[in-house]
Amino acid sequence: MLRLEDVRRSFQLGPVTTEVLHGVNLNVVRGDLMSIMGPSGSGKTTLMNIIGLLDRPSSGTCWIEERDIANLRDDELSALRNRKIGFVFQSFHLLSQLSAIENVCLPLVYRGTTRGAARKRAGTLLEQVGMGQRKNHRPSQLSGGQKQRVAIARALVGNPALLLADEPTGALDPETTADVMDLLLKLNTEQGVTILIITHDSLVAAQCIRQMQIHQGRLIEQTASGEDV
Amino acid sequence: MRVFSVLIFNGREAVSSLRRNGLRTILGLIGVIIGVSSVIAMVSLGEMAKQQARKQFEALGTDLVVIRNNQGQGQSGIGIADALQLADKEASILNSAPRILGNGSFRYGGKEVGYGSIQGVTRAFAGVSKLPLKEGRFVTIFDVNQNYTVVGHTIAEKMLATGTSDLLGELIELNGILFTVIGILDHYEESYALPVHVGANESVFIPITTSRRIDSNQPIDVIIAVADRSIDHETAKSDIQKYLNSVTPQGQFDITTAKELIAQMEQQMGIFTLLLGAVGSISLVVGGIGVMNIMLVSVAERRVEIAIRRALGARKRDIRSQFLIESIILTTAGGIFGTGLGLVATWGISRFTNWDFLISWISVSSGLGTAVGVGLFFGFQPAHQASQLDPIAGLQGN
Repeated sequence: MLRLEDVRRSFQLGPVTTEVLHGVNLNVVRGDLMSIMGPSGSGKTTLMNIIGLLDRPSSGTCWIEERDIANLRDDELSALRNRKIGFVFQSFHLLSQLSAIENVCLPLVYRGTTRGAARKRAGTLLEQVGMGQRKNHRPSQLSGGQKQRVAIARALVGNPALLLADEPTGALDPETTADVMDLLLKLNTEQGVTILIITHDSLVAAQCIRQMQIHQGRLIEQTASGEDV
Repeated sequence: MRVFSVLIFNGREAVSSLRRNGLRTILGLIGVIIGVSSVIAMVSLGEMAKQQARKQFEALGTDLVVIRNNQGQGQSGIGIADALQLADKEASILNSAPRILGNGSFRYGGKEVGYGSIQGVTRAFAGVSKLPLKEGRFVTIFDVNQNYTVVGHTIAEKMLATGTSDLLGELIELNGILFTVIGILDHYEESYALPVHVGANESVFIPITTSRRIDSNQPIDVIIAVADRSIDHETAKSDIQKYLNSVTPQGQFDITTAKELIAQMEQQMGIFTLLLGAVGSISLVVGGIGVMNIMLVSVAERRVEIAIRRALGARKRDIRSQFLIESIILTTAGGIFGTGLGLVATWGISRFTNWDFLISWISVSSGLGTAVGVGLFFGFQPAHQASQLDPIAGLQGN
């Protein structure tokens, strides 16, 4: 479903070129529940941006559902991002001026779905994440955990191939973290949503079936027995 | 279909964003309102002035032709009989009013009552130059060679100031020659629609034949002719030229028709209106810069929002249209309010100047059109900037 082959990403800082990712290989298949852990500066965010189609590799290839993203125009990349990727961010990134349901509608709006259809679909998603009662609340009227539920509903509203969560519990207390993780696990097991969580919380990572470490720009998968491969 | 629904969505978002930033929106609106209203008021002012000038011409008659004697002093030019016969000989000319212009001092009751023009005229002259008679009568053809005079307003006032109650029949000394007052004029308003300076208030009018009798060297300085309205003014002009050539082959005359003057006036007024419009446009441009400023601030403030939208699949052009629509809505609203204010201002000016209230629809439509254009033009740069923001940087910015 998502495949990275020898992905490298380097940045030009003045005269110096710094390579952040040194040949990353990754294969995500449908229904995966996967975590990527790593200290800050390890290339986590850069990798997430590439997987999330916000950035392109300097070399190597990235396929999403057998499409190579290297040759896509910016518009095509946007359209692909809209259809294939659902983002969940650490700081929720809900638009403060929009109500919960309007926030959830956003990906559908950019897809061209009519307002009525989008609201209907968004309402269903909010019910699923347990936010049906608060669909007309503004983000400022919601708690952290509630905001993240709305954000998860927004990520899933367009039926993406991959839910990409960047530190989804980073801003939450332990109790709410458990709630949000339960929701993500449930979505994975019951609906088969493919989920990739980037985190530095080992408790969160431990709940995922596939666990990876990123270290100095290289990705290492750990087997269930705890050994690196 | 997608484009359409995103546009509707962007429009709705733009309105709510403008509402949310109330004060900033109002400040932006004020700039555009002042710009559009000044364009409308300025151009309407120009149009009203034009209308007013046209009215003055129409009050005098658009059928006037002024024939000015270009010969030097000492040349007798056209004779009185020839000047008067112009109307009889040329079918296109209905009437002609020649004038012999002299000057001198006026004495009444042993006192000096003025120094001014002594104008030798016929009855027709009073008609074409719209001299307002207050008392008595004007000179007629029956007054040939008579020492009769009609006195202007200021002269009459001075005569009355000596203590006389009734001036009709009184004797006034013009350059030492006694004349009988047969008429008194009311205050005369000079009209720039008549290309002849009359100066009636400080003048006395005597029969043209009397002028010639007193000083045979004084030529006719001007003939005001009335052309047949149904005949093209160019034809009338060439008829007059032919006639003048036949009666005084050596004569040199300038012939100006009222229509030519109107055309000239309208051309000048057109430049005047254009200038006023340009002055108004400057404030519209300033307003536009204000809008651009506001939009740039808005884009800077909403970097994270833009990045989120991009992450959720908004294309660059979706972001661009969102901000462009916002600035167009802002300036269009400013254009509508500005049109209202411009019309009120125009009405105020018309009351103040006593001119006819006139709305220049061209200025209203161009004012509104320009407002939308200003939104597009000054909104484009901020909107483009918004669309080019790097979503990665935006997402990390918070």
